[in-house]
Amino acid sequence: MSAQAVQPRLAVLPNERERQRALRRLRLRRAAVYIVAVLLALWILLPIWLITNMAFSTPTAVRAFPKAFFPNPISLDSLTFFINSEGILRALGNSVLVAVTTLVISTLLAVPAGYAIARYMFRGRDAVRLLMLSVRAFPIVVLAVPLAVIFIRLGMYDQPVTLALMHTALTLPTTILVVSSVFASVPYEFEEAAQVFGCRPIQAFATVVLPLALPGIAASAILTFVLSWNEVFAAMLLTSTNRTLPAHILYNLDKSSDPFKFAAAFFMLVPTMIFIFFIRRYLFNMWGSINK
Amino acid sequence: MRLRRRVESCFFMKRNRWIPYLLLLPSVIYLALFFLYPMTQAVQLAFTREGQFLNLRAEPNDTAVSTGALLLQTEVRIVERSEQQETLASGAQRPVFWYRVQAEDESGATVEGWVSIRNVFIENRRTSETARVTSGEALREFSLVHVNRMFTDFRFDDALWTTVLLIILIIPAQFVLAIIMALVLQSQPRFSTLFLYVYAIPLGLSDLVAGILWFAIFTQRGFLNSLLVNAGVLDLPFIFIQAGHLGWMIMIIVLAEIWRATSIVMVIIVSGLQAIPRDYLEAGEVFGASLWQRLWHIILPLLKPSLQVALILRTILAFQVFAIVIAITGGDIMTVLANETFRWYDPARFNNPNMAATYSVFIMLISLGVSLFYLRAVRSQEEAVQTT
Repeated sequence: MSAQAVQPRLAVLPNERERQRALRRLRLRRAAVYIVAVLLALWILLPIWLITNMAFSTPTAVRAFPKAFFPNPISLDSLTFFINSEGILRALGNSVLVAVTTLVISTLLAVPAGYAIARYMFRGRDAVRLLMLSVRAFPIVVLAVPLAVIFIRLGMYDQPVTLALMHTALTLPTTILVVSSVFASVPYEFEEAAQVFGCRPIQAFATVVLPLALPGIAASAILTFVLSWNEVFAAMLLTSTNRTLPAHILYNLDKSSDPFKFAAAFFMLVPTMIFIFFIRRYLFNMWGSINK
Repeated sequence: MRLRRRVESCFFMKRNRWIPYLLLLPSVIYLALFFLYPMTQAVQLAFTREGQFLNLRAEPNDTAVSTGALLLQTEVRIVERSEQQETLASGAQRPVFWYRVQAEDESGATVEGWVSIRNVFIENRRTSETARVTSGEALREFSLVHVNRMFTDFRFDDALWTTVLLIILIIPAQFVLAIIMALVLQSQPRFSTLFLYVYAIPLGLSDLVAGILWFAIFTQRGFLNSLLVNAGVLDLPFIFIQAGHLGWMIMIIVLAEIWRATSIVMVIIVSGLQAIPRDYLEAGEVFGASLWQRLWHIILPLLKPSLQVALILRTILAFQVFAIVIAITGGDIMTVLANETFRWYDPARFNNPNMAATYSVFIMLISLGVSLFYLRAVRSQEEAVQTT
C-alpha cells in the first residue's frame, strides 16, 4: 500500500463554482469509502464479538433465550468449564506438538529449497515452481485416506508425529514459495559484497542473508503453525485416541453443550488472531509470490 | 515484466550445475514419500477389491487345478462325497471329507468342483445335501465395485449436488466482496492498516471455528432468533437448522463460507492490484473514466492472472468443504463429498477405507477437471481478444 490516492487536478478547472463542486464530490466519495470500509469491518467483527460475548458469559446466560448481546455479568465459568473438560488439555498438548513438529520439519526443508529457487538459475526452475503451486492447490482429502491406511499397516497410526508428517506435506509447498520470496527480497549485492570481502558462500549466507531473511522466515513459520493448528479433516482421519484440539472438538460436537462449543470456538480463535496480527505485514509477500 | 525477470536472471542469479538440485532434493524426496506415494495408494485402494474366494478343485486335493471360484457365504449343493484318511503326527488316523459341489458363482454361472470340509459349513458331514462356503483364499484384484457402489449410493447425489450448489453460490459472492475490500484498501482510507488486519482475520480461522460462530447466530436459541423475538417479529424462535430446511442450511453455510474464506481472495487480489502500474489507473482517472469503467476496462483485465489463481484455489478448497458443514448441521441431515469420505472411513461407522479412497479420488478428479476448465477458459478468452 505504498502509492498515494490520485487527486483530481483542481488547478485546471475554470472557475470557483466548479471547483467547489469537484471538492464536494471528492468528499462524498471519501465518505462513501469510509462507510463501506466500516461496514465490511463490522461484517467480519460481529460474529467474533458474539462468540467472545458467549465465552465470557455464565453457562446459564449462554443457555438463556433471548440471548444478551453483552456479557452480564462477565464470567470465566464457561471457559474454565471448557478447559477443565475431559481430554481438552491432552488434545491441546497434541495440537501444539503436531503444529511445532510441522513447523520445524517444514521450515528446515523449505529454507534450502526456497534459497535455490530464489537465487539459482537452473534447468527446471519454472517446473519446480509450477509443481509447488499445484501441490499447494491439491485437495487434502485425497491424501488423508491412503496415508491413514499406510500408517495403520506400518503400525504408526494414531500418533501426533505421523499427523505432523502429513501436515508437513500440506504446508511444505506454501512454505517453500514464501521462503523463496523472502530470499528474493534480500538484495543479491549484499551476498556478493560479503564474498568479495572474503566470505565463503556458506558464510555469506549465514552471516548476511540469513539474518536479513529471518523475520520473513519467522512469519512463514507462524503461517505453517496456524495451518497445522487449524487443520481438522486429516486430524480426524489420522488419530483416534490422540486427537488434536480441533479434531477432539469436532468429534464431540454433537455431544457438547452450547457453553462448551462457544468457549471452544473462542479458545481456538484467540491464538490465530494474535498470530495473524504479527504476520499481517508479510501476508502480501506470501500471496504476491504465488501470483507471479 | 517478463523482460525484467529475464534481465534479473542474467545478472543477479547464481549458476551452478548441481547445488540447486541438492538444495531442492530433501523437499522433493519428502513430497514423493508423503504426497506422490499416498496419491498412488488412493487410486489403488479405489480400484482394488480385497476379499476371500474359495477355489473349486478338479480332484479332491488342494493342489489340483481350479475349476471355478465361489464367494464366501455361497450355498452349495453336494453332488458327491469322498472320505480320505489323514495320518496325524501322533500316528493316529482321522477322516477328512471332500465334497464335489455345484453352485452359482458371482456371475451367475453354474460351476462344479471339489471342496474340503475345512472351507465349508455342513450340518452332517455324511448325510447333508447342502453346505455353505465359510472360508477361502485372500484375493486382491482390479475392480470397479467401489466405483459402482459410490455412484449408486443413495447419499452420493445429495453430496455431489450440495457441494456443487455451495460452490456456485459462494464463489461469485466471494469474488465481488473481495474486490470491494481490495478497492477500499487501495483507496487508502485512514487506518487502512487496521482495516487490512480486520479483513485478514478470517485467514487464520479454521472452518470449524467459523462453523461454530455461525451456528451460534442461527441455532434455535441463537442470536438471530433472540433479535427477532426481542423486536417482536417472531413470537417463538424459528428453527433454521433442521432436516426439512435444506435451503436455510445451505444459506447459513454460504454465509459462513463467504465470511471465512473471502480474506484469502482479498489478499491475492490486493497483491495483484499492487503489481498494476499506477500510471494505468491514473490515466483512467485523468480521462474521466467512472469507477465502474475503470474497474471493468482497466483493473479487472489486468487482474486476470490473480483472479485465475484465486479462482482455482478457492474452487478446489470448496470441493473439500467439511468442518463448517458438520459444525452447522451435524453432518447427518445434509451431506457434502468430504463428509461422505469421512463417513465411509470412520472406524465407528462404515469402516471402509476403499470407499473413502474412491470418494477421495473422485474429489481429486473433479478438482483437476475444474482447474483445467478455468485455465482453458481464460486462455481461449485471451486468444479471442488477440484475434479480434
